[in-house]
Amino acid sequence: MQAHPAYTAVSARTTLARPAEKPKKVEWPEPVKAYVRRAFDPENEIAGISHADMQVKLKHIISGFAEWQMHDQIDWPTYPLPQVLLAQERRNGVALPLLTNGPGYVNNLQPAYVTPFNGSNDSSTHSPNSSKRKSQNMEDEQPAASATVPPWRKTNLEDRITFGNGSKSKRQKKSDMAATSKLDKADLEKRKQRFGLAPTTPPWSSDRNGSDSDLPTGPVVGTNLSLEKSYFRLTAPPKAETVRPEHVLKKTLDLLRKKWRTEKNYNYICNQFKSLRQDLTVQHIKNAFTVSVYETHARIALEKGDLGEYNQCQTQLKALYAQGLAGHPAEFLAYRILYFVYTCNKTDMNDLLAELTTADKTQESVRHALDVRSSLALGNYHKFFKLYLSAPNMGAYMMDMFIERERLHALANISRAYQSVALRFLTDELGFEHDNECRQFLEDHEAKGLVEEKPDGKDRVRIKEGAAAFEGARSQAFSKVDLKGQI
Amino acid sequence: MQVALEPFLRAHAAQQGWGIADALSPIAPHDNPGRLYEFYRSTNEHQVENEVRNALKYNNNSRLAPKEAAAWTEIFVGYWRAIGEILRAEEASNQGRLRDRQLVDVYEAWKELTNQIVRQISNGNLPPWSLICMYHTANYLRMFAIKADEQLAKVKSNVAFSSGFQDDIVSTVARNEKLEETARILNKMFSLCLGDRNPDMGSSRKWGTYYMANLQFKTYFKLKNISLSRNIVRTIAVQTDLPPFEQFPTAHRVTYKYYVGVIAFLQEDYSKAETCLTEAWDHCLPESTRNQELILTYLIPCRLITKHNIPSQTLLSSYPHLQRIFGPLVTCIKSGDLSGFDNALAAAEDEFVKRRIYLTLERGRDIALRNLLRKVFLAGGYEELKEGQTEANRVRKTRIPLAHFATAFRMGTGGEGSGQSLEDDEVECMLANMIYKGLMKGYISREYQMVVLNKKGAFPGTGV
Repeated sequence: MQAHPAYTAVSARTTLARPAEKPKKVEWPEPVKAYVRRAFDPENEIAGISHADMQVKLKHIISGFAEWQMHDQIDWPTYPLPQVLLAQERRNGVALPLLTNGPGYVNNLQPAYVTPFNGSNDSSTHSPNSSKRKSQNMEDEQPAASATVPPWRKTNLEDRITFGNGSKSKRQKKSDMAATSKLDKADLEKRKQRFGLAPTTPPWSSDRNGSDSDLPTGPVVGTNLSLEKSYFRLTAPPKAETVRPEHVLKKTLDLLRKKWRTEKNYNYICNQFKSLRQDLTVQHIKNAFTVSVYETHARIALEKGDLGEYNQCQTQLKALYAQGLAGHPAEFLAYRILYFVYTCNKTDMNDLLAELTTADKTQESVRHALDVRSSLALGNYHKFFKLYLSAPNMGAYMMDMFIERERLHALANISRAYQSVALRFLTDELGFEHDNECRQFLEDHEAKGLVEEKPDGKDRVRIKEGAAAFEGARSQAFSKVDLKGQI
Repeated sequence: MQVALEPFLRAHAAQQGWGIADALSPIAPHDNPGRLYEFYRSTNEHQVENEVRNALKYNNNSRLAPKEAAAWTEIFVGYWRAIGEILRAEEASNQGRLRDRQLVDVYEAWKELTNQIVRQISNGNLPPWSLICMYHTANYLRMFAIKADEQLAKVKSNVAFSSGFQDDIVSTVARNEKLEETARILNKMFSLCLGDRNPDMGSSRKWGTYYMANLQFKTYFKLKNISLSRNIVRTIAVQTDLPPFEQFPTAHRVTYKYYVGVIAFLQEDYSKAETCLTEAWDHCLPESTRNQELILTYLIPCRLITKHNIPSQTLLSSYPHLQRIFGPLVTCIKSGDLSGFDNALAAAEDEFVKRRIYLTLERGRDIALRNLLRKVFLAGGYEELKEGQTEANRVRKTRIPLAHFATAFRMGTGGEGSGQSLEDDEVECMLANMIYKGLMKGYISREYQMVVLNKKGAFPGTGV
């Protein structure tokens, strides 16, 4: 039964282990062929099991046993047909362990280009010069593969549903399609997940570019009506019943806004927004509502200083605005400018400046952000702190990220230029609201003894003596810029 | 075919890499504008391989070794196919019906050719002097990639729905897909050059290292991925077995130093930038004004920062373009005209931003300001002569009222279009900056509303 082909040559390095591991078959044994014929016989069809699913299963079975060299141990004439097994599986809600977890699993671990139907033969003939031929190998294998398996059966699932039913009538095709509803598939996916079958596509259909994200995944239409939903990272296509449709999501957004105002529980809000964003994505909802979701989340994240989440939203918003969707592009453009001021990233800032249009520059918030930038570039801290106090929208939250750093910078500056100054002068120049805040700030930065209490309340600061300390604090503050989720 | 390959065979017999590079050029030579057409029409897809093989085999000029002949056959077949795509695209574009992906096809065909050459060179099938044709092919690949990306950008929107299980709505699509691919191919070539273990330096591929590095710089700059350029500089820096730098062709060295200088400039390492750019400047050919201009574009802002130097009028006048963009700035810096400086900076902002020198030039305002303040100081005149003092060692007035500086500021910024009105506190703030940056020595006394300058060297480096 096991006909071993003669090897032309065996490369010592690359295929050392392979020949032993893989039985070589020129042809499938006759009982297997008969089994396949029976499986394809229209008489043996079971309603609800699509042709495509059956084929997948069939391949699984045959290649699975081939892997384990068990073809001759199986009683093929009595072995249940794939459609029977499938029907059984679906009834029990459990995949048969041997076939799915056993050989099937081994299969999945193999390199994608060694397709179970033809791979053994071809790979050995090509292996001698494999190092240089990697890319060619695949092309060469293609025709050989089609000798046993027509190419259209080697593509992925979707293709097979459309093209693979060659022998069947149109009517049957239709009924098949109807029978395998989305729900079924989703269930199946879930089941496979549960049993740890990592790649959801069978090995022979895995596309060569690798990732499963290349599979065409159409938008889901959600049916879930609950307003709140916790966020889970997707590892499989989402199910309709867990996804909320747009009209529900709109209510969700209102609810979240309200909750944020009243409860201010950031962890909860952030989690909810992430699931909200996820639901939008899987349903391909991209409109003004999407923009408002991202804007709201970005603002909340900004308020809490969560730059990582903020940046994710900002990236999305930039792309959404580029689509001409409504929203507040100027506001977020201003945040971006301020963000690059924060990161001190000159290259990015330059790129951003290059993108600015004259129209952008006339917007109040953008104007403000650009003024912030130039005031810092020119060392005009006086102007900078005034701009801080008059920031439009939530610009002040963004400026909070670097306000301390700039205060230290200004202090280092002042401490070199003055001998002593009034505390009030510092309070005003550094944008503090109250003398005590300023005093506290000085004390926090090793300038404890520098403030002289005066009976008339006009306290003075011997600023010059703090020069070294301020300079040290300044350079330290500038050296660490925390970059989370860079734009 | 025989005729078409004649130039190649001649160049090969003479071992002239340039001639071969010309024979593999995607652009027809001036003296023979129909060359590409003739070459392409001389055969067809079916016969091209045989014909090239025979032409290379049966000729009087050069006897190619069988292995080398096979290599050149593959290369010329690839070249023939690429030319086919190029001619088709050219024709379609002339008739105004360029297909959506036609330039991409050109790129793909040229990529095949490039890869073929790389493969043959790395297999050692080609003579070492043919490295030049790899340079050329690679450079054209870069150009085709840029054109292909431009076409792709027009066809598809740059935002797509993320497929798979992403959480967010859009995934950023690579806008420069083909050029990025080119960058990877170039990197392969770079490693091929750098990693050559041939102990005979005369025929080593290491001589291509800097050329390939330069092509990569060009590509990465276009891709705005400058950090990758830094990796190349680092890789070369740790390489110990390269031939001495001075022995590389001047063209390679000048370009390399230019890019290393610009990279340092962008990292704000101005002293290193100055060294590299100066080196590039020194070796740049007198007649390549374009390159000199490029070097100066970065060297001028660089020197402004490191040495507070501004270029002389004589220097600028030989480069009209630089004169136009830097001229006004330089004049304003010299005269301390702040609003003039702001206006000049704004006027050429687009150009400066494109060259990535805007944010650096902005700092030149400090020098303009310094010059303005220095004028106030000079205008303040001298202290009364005391006993024993002569005209020669008179002391300038070093206590200058803040109001004087404030007035100067307002004059300096009063110009049209500045839209700035400076408050007194702001004037103080700018003075503090000058002191902090070491451009002015002294201190501010708020009680007396005075600036007390150092008696000696109040404005370091300016003679007062």
